[in-house]
Order: sequence, then structure tokens, then C-alpha cells
Amino acid sequence: MSENNEHTLAAKSAKQLNDEMLSSMRAPTWRWHLLAFALGAVVAWGLYAFTYQMMTGMNVTGKNRPVMWGFYITSFVFWVGLSHSGTMVSAILRLSQANWRRPILRAAEAMTVFSITVAGLFPIIHLGRNWVVHYFLPYPNQRGLWPNFRSALLWDVTAITTYLIGSTLFLYLGMLPDLALARDRSSGWRRKVYEVLAMGWRGSAHEWSVYHKASTLMAALIIPVAVSVHSIVAWDFAVTVVPGWHSTIFPPYFVIGAITSGVAAVISLMIIIRRAFHLEDYLTPLHFDNMGKLLLVICLLWSYAYFVDVNITWYAHEPIEWEVFSFMADKYTLLLLLMLFGNSVLPIATLCFKKLRRNITLMLVVSLLINVCMFIERYLIIVPSLSRKNMPFVWHTYFPSWVEMSIAAAAFAGFALLYTIFAKYFPIMAVTDVRELEVRKAHVPLGRAKVPAIAGDD
Amino acid sequence: METLGIFKDIETAGGAVESLIKAGFAEAEITSLTSVAYPDGVLVKTDGRSWFRWLAVAGGIVGAVAGFFLAAGTAWLYPVQTGDKPIITFYPTGIVTFELAMLFAIIGTMAGMFLEMKLPPRGKRPYDPAISEGYIGISVAVMSQDQGSRAKEIMRKAGALRTMKEETL
Repeated sequence: MSENNEHTLAAKSAKQLNDEMLSSMRAPTWRWHLLAFALGAVVAWGLYAFTYQMMTGMNVTGKNRPVMWGFYITSFVFWVGLSHSGTMVSAILRLSQANWRRPILRAAEAMTVFSITVAGLFPIIHLGRNWVVHYFLPYPNQRGLWPNFRSALLWDVTAITTYLIGSTLFLYLGMLPDLALARDRSSGWRRKVYEVLAMGWRGSAHEWSVYHKASTLMAALIIPVAVSVHSIVAWDFAVTVVPGWHSTIFPPYFVIGAITSGVAAVISLMIIIRRAFHLEDYLTPLHFDNMGKLLLVICLLWSYAYFVDVNITWYAHEPIEWEVFSFMADKYTLLLLLMLFGNSVLPIATLCFKKLRRNITLMLVVSLLINVCMFIERYLIIVPSLSRKNMPFVWHTYFPSWVEMSIAAAAFAGFALLYTIFAKYFPIMAVTDVRELEVRKAHVPLGRAKVPAIAGDD
Repeated sequence: METLGIFKDIETAGGAVESLIKAGFAEAEITSLTSVAYPDGVLVKTDGRSWFRWLAVAGGIVGAVAGFFLAAGTAWLYPVQTGDKPIITFYPTGIVTFELAMLFAIIGTMAGMFLEMKLPPRGKRPYDPAISEGYIGISVAVMSQDQGSRAKEIMRKAGALRTMKEETL
């Protein structure tokens, strides 16, 4: 944090810090209700579109042979990717004991839980016969059905279930002391809910000691799960023999892409939360600077992985692979160029400079554009490859129908609605984490200057 | 039985702990209640050992076994012959085993953490919501009313704002 900011926070009492960081939990205003209503209306429209699809059949989508994976699977991969970074960034920063992580943790962890929830809906929406989704579950039944674990889709179900439960528990674990704080500051039904969730936490020395060890262990456990989830999503593609997908680089490329979109989304959310709840003293330019550096590294890695993938296609010049790439470059030129600009050129050109990384407006533009372009990237992975599969007599293009677009829009609104409700009823900042740093910080004399020091191990 | 004293700041709370130890209370019977974590020894020293990680390990092993049997065992029980492909295959079995091992290890960590913290508590324990606002609680486990009164007196002398015995959460 900047020196000015350090002094600002140090001058505040614990009560003031609590008041400010829990300001999002104050009684909802008419603006909040309006926002929730607007988001709810989009979700309701999406539900209508989904019901219409269920009643009418999958012919209301733009899917047809050979493009049987369209907007739904694009959305699925996008939301899984988005979920990737929240928990992972939080876990990595916890393990690396980066003190600047503290105000970011909650926003990132909550993002993971809500985006993986949204992601999990898309395979069900995509199924067609959604009402038999329970056939996926391994339980003895009179139909004599048993899930075939050799299908990559079953790996998805297993991995996403693990990640959803793991991320929810990771979010809950991080919130435990803050739930006790919310309990002590609330009344009525809210107090009863927080009492149950806080599990009787008092903050004894023993509780803190065990809590820190458990947080570290959870962080270490959740990282391999996060990596496995997106690798498995990549295998949905890579283990097939579809041109453009059958590539060994796909799992790491997907993981890198997921971290790119996740880090960018965390930055966007940080900016929105900062503005909405007046948290300028807590989410400082330093946080955007550090997150910007992280994003820069990830964008460089993404550019490298994309270059390697395309370069091998070009150099090998295998006819069917080259046909897919040429088709994509010809038919989707604008989308392809926008993707390269948003995911590679713009972030690398801007995030190299400290001044630009600390420019909040610019960071919002860059981070939002990255996610638009990551959605395009997933679309360009899925649609052109299926459009130009091995049998030329079924080559066909695809365009999403209003039903698919409505459901995709409802997913964004649903995510935003879940986040808005969460921010209203739960601490959106890791209050005790931020305050912990404040009580341990001191300025000690060193030579002619007084330098900041932090007492104790993290 | 517990006696709790509430202090305005960390210095007076630390002084109270010193006084309690000097008066013959064992350090293991004294704990601090704070809304943020302080480094070990600033108020009280905790026993560094903990056992909950073993529950995470046990969870991981149970999960791995469950995952293996779910993927490999049921494939063997409900064989789906596809060409000359093996019934029990490395990839699916490995993935399902790994995912369930991690899931159960994570659940084991959470369960173990709460068990070691002894949360949720069985009875009512002394607590003051002011702790959330930065006040420091010093709690002493006492065996008798006499001991409790003595602890209260020591904490009052050390600067406790108030003391209590059986406050509810």
C-alpha cells in the first residue's frame, strides 16, 4: 500500500475499519433493489427461453450437423475458465504470503463459486432431454444403467462437483471469522443465520492457530483441483479426433486461458466493488498494479501458447488442420483479430507500464475486453473445428439462435445477481485479514528513516 | 468453567496474562479471544501441535479408494465392451480416483478443523461482542468459584473493563 494509505488505515479504529469494510451489508437502497430487479428480469427471460427449448425441442437452437456444440458449450468453457482464477489466485497468494492479497481474497473466492455454479448449468441445458439428467448419477436402478466413466463428460461431472464443493468450502473457511463479526453486529433473523454459520467462533488463540493451518492446507489442496478441472475440460476436446482440437498443448493452453480470464474478472470485480462500496482506502492502486503484473505475465503466456499452437498447424500444413484454420481466419477474421488484440496486443502494450497499471479506468477497460475476447476465443475453438470436420459433405456453419443468446445473457445476469445478493448479505471484504495486517504493522527506525515492518510470521 | 476479562488494548491484556501466570494460573489454562490473529506469544502461547491434518490424509485415502472402486470397480461390475478396448482403463480410473481423493481430503480438512477447534461448542461459553470491535478477551479456565473470583480480581487490577462468567454467544 502507498505510504498515505498506510497512515489512513492506521489512524482508523477497529470499529471504523469494520464499519467501512462491512458497508456493503447495510440495508438495501432503492438502487440495489432496482439492480436486483433488472438482473432478475434477464434471468427470468433466460428461464423462459430454456422452458421454450424444453417444450419445443433442440431444433430451436442454431445447432445442426456437424456443429452440435455451440453457444452452450462455449459458455460452459468460458464460465469454468472464469471460475478458475478466483480460488487459485487466492490460494497462491495465501501460500506465497503476499500481504497485498488481503483485500482481494473474498471477491476472488466468491467469483469462483458463482461462476462454477453457472458453468455447471450449461451441460444440463445442452443435454436436450434435461429431465433425465439424473441418469448421470451412479446409483443402482431398474433401468440397469450405469455411467460410463470412459466418457470425458463424466470426468467433467466429477471434476466440477469436486471443484464446486472445494471452492465453496474454501470460501466458507475464509469467511468464518468474518461471519462471527457479522453475527456480533447484527440482530433478528440475520443474527440467527450468522450464528449458525459462525459455528460458535470466538477467536481464541487455539482457534486462530488451527484456522491458519487449515487455511494453508486448503490452499494447497485446492490448487491441483483447479488445474485438473480445466485440464479435464480441455480433454473434452483434446481426446477427440476433431481437427483443431486433437492437440497435446490443449490442457496447459486451457489452464492459461482460464487464469487469464479469471484474473481479468477479479480485476473488473475489484473495480466495481471499490466504486460501489467506496473502498478506495482498501483497494488501492498498488493492488491493481500487482494484479496488472500478474495479468501481464499470464497474457504473455497465453500469447506464447496460442502462437505455438497456430505455428505448428501452419508448419505441418496437414490438410484438414489447415482447412479448419483457414476457414476460421476467413469466415471469422474480425473476431479472430479482436481476440488477438484484446487478449494479447492491448494487455501486453498497456500492462508493461506502472502508470497504466495504476490507472483504474484503463484497467477496467483492459480487464473487461479480455473477458469479451476470451468468450470469442472459446467460440473460435469450438465452432470452426466442428464446421469443418473430416467429412466435407456435411460441412456447415453455425449461428446461435435467440434462445441460446437469451440463455447465455441470463447466465451473465444470474452470475451478477448471485454476486450482488452475496455482497449484500455477506462480508465482501476479508475484514479480519485486512485488520490483522493493520495490527501487526509498525514503523521502525532504520538509519535516518522509519520503515514499515510486519510483526510475526504470516 | 471459564472466566473472561475484556481489555481495551493488547498491552493491558498482555499485562493481565503476565499477572495471571505470576499468580499461579497455568499458561495452558489461559487463552485470548481476539477478532484478529496475533502472532503466537504476543498474548498467550499455543500448543503448536495439531492432529486435524491426519483427518485430511484419512479423507484423501478414503476418497482415493472410493474413486477407484467407483470407476474401476463398477466398470468391472457393469462391463461395456467397446471394440477391443479394456474394461478398466487408466485415464478414467486415474481421474475419478484423483478427484474423489481431493474432494474427501478437502472435506476431511474442514471436518478435522472444526473437530480440533471443538466447534460448534456443546454448551454456552463466556463471550463479549465487543471483541469484534477490537477489544481483547482473556479467558481463564477455572476449577472452582474461588479460583474464578481470584482470576476476576487479578484481571480487574490489570485493567479489565469488565469480567464475566457465563455469558451466552
